[in-house]
Amino acid sequence: MTTAMQFDIQRAEILEDREPKSGAQLLLESIAAQGVETIFGYPGGAIMPVYDVLPRVPQLSHILCRHEQGCGMAAIGYARATGKTGTAFATSGPGATNLVTSIAEAYLDSVPVVFVTGQVATNLIGTDAFQEVDIFGITLPIVKHSYIARDPADIPGMVAEAYFIAGEGRPGPVLIDLPKDVANALTTERHRWRPYPKQKPEMGKSKDIAAAEKLMRDAKKPLFYIGGGIAQGDGVQEIRDLVERTQIPVVSTLKGLGSLPNDHPNYLGMLGMHGLRAANYAVQECDLLIVAGARFDDRATGKLDTFAPNAKVVHLDIDVAEIDKLRRVNVGLDGSLKKNLAALDPFKDNAEHEDISEWTKLCYDRRTEHAWDYKSPITNMTSGGIYAPKLLHDLSRRADDSAIITCDVGQHQMWVAQHCYFDDPKDHITSGGLGTMGFGLPAGLGAKLGAPDRTVITVSGDGSIMMNIQELATLNRYDIPLKIVLLDNSALGMVRQWQEVFFEKNYSEVNLDDNPDFAAVAKAFQIDAFTITRGDEVDAGIDRLLSTNGPVLMHVKIDTAENVWPLVPPGRSNADMMER
Amino acid sequence: MAELQRDKTFEPSGIQGKLKAVLHDVQGTLLRTLGTIERRGYDYRDVHCTQRVDGNFDLLVHVEDTGGPNDLDLLCRQLERLYNVVSAERVGRRTRAEHAE
Repeated sequence: MTTAMQFDIQRAEILEDREPKSGAQLLLESIAAQGVETIFGYPGGAIMPVYDVLPRVPQLSHILCRHEQGCGMAAIGYARATGKTGTAFATSGPGATNLVTSIAEAYLDSVPVVFVTGQVATNLIGTDAFQEVDIFGITLPIVKHSYIARDPADIPGMVAEAYFIAGEGRPGPVLIDLPKDVANALTTERHRWRPYPKQKPEMGKSKDIAAAEKLMRDAKKPLFYIGGGIAQGDGVQEIRDLVERTQIPVVSTLKGLGSLPNDHPNYLGMLGMHGLRAANYAVQECDLLIVAGARFDDRATGKLDTFAPNAKVVHLDIDVAEIDKLRRVNVGLDGSLKKNLAALDPFKDNAEHEDISEWTKLCYDRRTEHAWDYKSPITNMTSGGIYAPKLLHDLSRRADDSAIITCDVGQHQMWVAQHCYFDDPKDHITSGGLGTMGFGLPAGLGAKLGAPDRTVITVSGDGSIMMNIQELATLNRYDIPLKIVLLDNSALGMVRQWQEVFFEKNYSEVNLDDNPDFAAVAKAFQIDAFTITRGDEVDAGIDRLLSTNGPVLMHVKIDTAENVWPLVPPGRSNADMMER
Repeated sequence: MAELQRDKTFEPSGIQGKLKAVLHDVQGTLLRTLGTIERRGYDYRDVHCTQRVDGNFDLLVHVEDTGGPNDLDLLCRQLERLYNVVSAERVGRRTRAEHAE
């Protein structure tokens, strides 16, 4: 059942300490006691007591980013690459509000991060003091939990609980708002903390598992629809084993990519707005949808009441509030995805079941029929242009198998999802739920710090990179060997594409042909950089990118008119895919 | 005038009902709870909050659906997901159609 006992053990040592200590010291020691090694932060007035103590807690390595949003996104990238809880600091007022997008990002993509914000002294709270905002109130809808520390003696228990909550169950962001006087105050007290109250089931009930297995045996056209919960629930091996046992085809969400390798024989590809035809057709025609760690997001489902119209649904999710939220299910299995997937064994003891070979053949024939051909409808590759999908395909296959790719948001994000090779979902770090332009660069530097032995590549666009371009300074400051591929089409490409397709080519505020020389900008930050503009430069460019030891930026000029296909129009069924 | 985007899943159902939630006496819990009810697609018709002898609070809320994925049991699960919400449940009669389900 619940892990309340683990939580008690986490806080026991620190509660026995009776040395007089300040709130700031208790905060940092409590964070260190959680095993945290890296903090991404930016100092300022209200959080200065914490930064005053920071040099005396050698276990904590602080990375000074150049904007609080960069700190938050870097903490998210770090958390996603390591599987640990990330940590980000900011001061009160604008420091805290600059963190808000990162907090929302962590909330919508279920990433465990503890955010600590400075706050004005308690006697000034509510007076509209200098750099005072109600960050606790502002972030209520986008945190898993939050605290205002009112007594330094509460801090050890509060910090232990914050890290516990961030990581348990469905992970998410937790905020600790720390008033300056609480950070400065000395105390010998350590308050006991209320035990963690929630009881959660470990896995689905056996009768529900049996019901799910019966549906799987009776289905003629079963299909797995898997999402980000597979990686977060540590269920990669279990889903692979279950697919092996059942031979049922699989489609994946953006966040589920890599749960099965791209070339797995049962894998049909990503579903949804920019999904593969074979995947979307399979969803529309299946008679049983087994949903694991996915949440019927609108980018995946299209018009919801036309999604998988003939299917019964089995839904496995660690968050019971996701089951029946958007689609009525026939069987819901809450609790650990890993345990539920391992428990499902519908064909055990040679149990009689429907023959699905005709269905699987149809699915795999379609996969072959609609495979990518890498012939651009726009770019004349023979006369010199660079076709981004081909470049990304080649890049990901030439990078080593353990490479992590982070990306920003827009056309390049979809091209990464469609054309890069992933054999582990933790290799793909993207802003799926919030869709935050500016995510890729700081997330990439956080991922590289978390996984220093792995190649980390950030794919960005000319719109997105400008949203957090200041983090190039962070790369340089710490000599973080991140490899950046900047696909520059001199436009806000995805918006431009929608204006072309859905707004009768009424291009409004999408032209970025006044972009700076990005290679020169990177060089100004003392980062190695170069530009390629022709198809015959791609191979050498990838070589240079992958062989450079320090941080490097490859600026790639591509055609403005290149679009992402297929495309399901908004509010339409996934069966209504547009093509080229 | 252009039509609003339609999807049967999100059509207002006119669901009304009463919920009872037990809340810890911890800063922000009431706001979190009421905010969640609104964001998940319900209006309040009546709100009562009283402290119990054990120090927790009983929150009784009469809600009406404004057009989300409408299911009061789901709303209770979403409320129970919040830390410091001890429990949330529907109170009062269910409709005949709900019983049939």
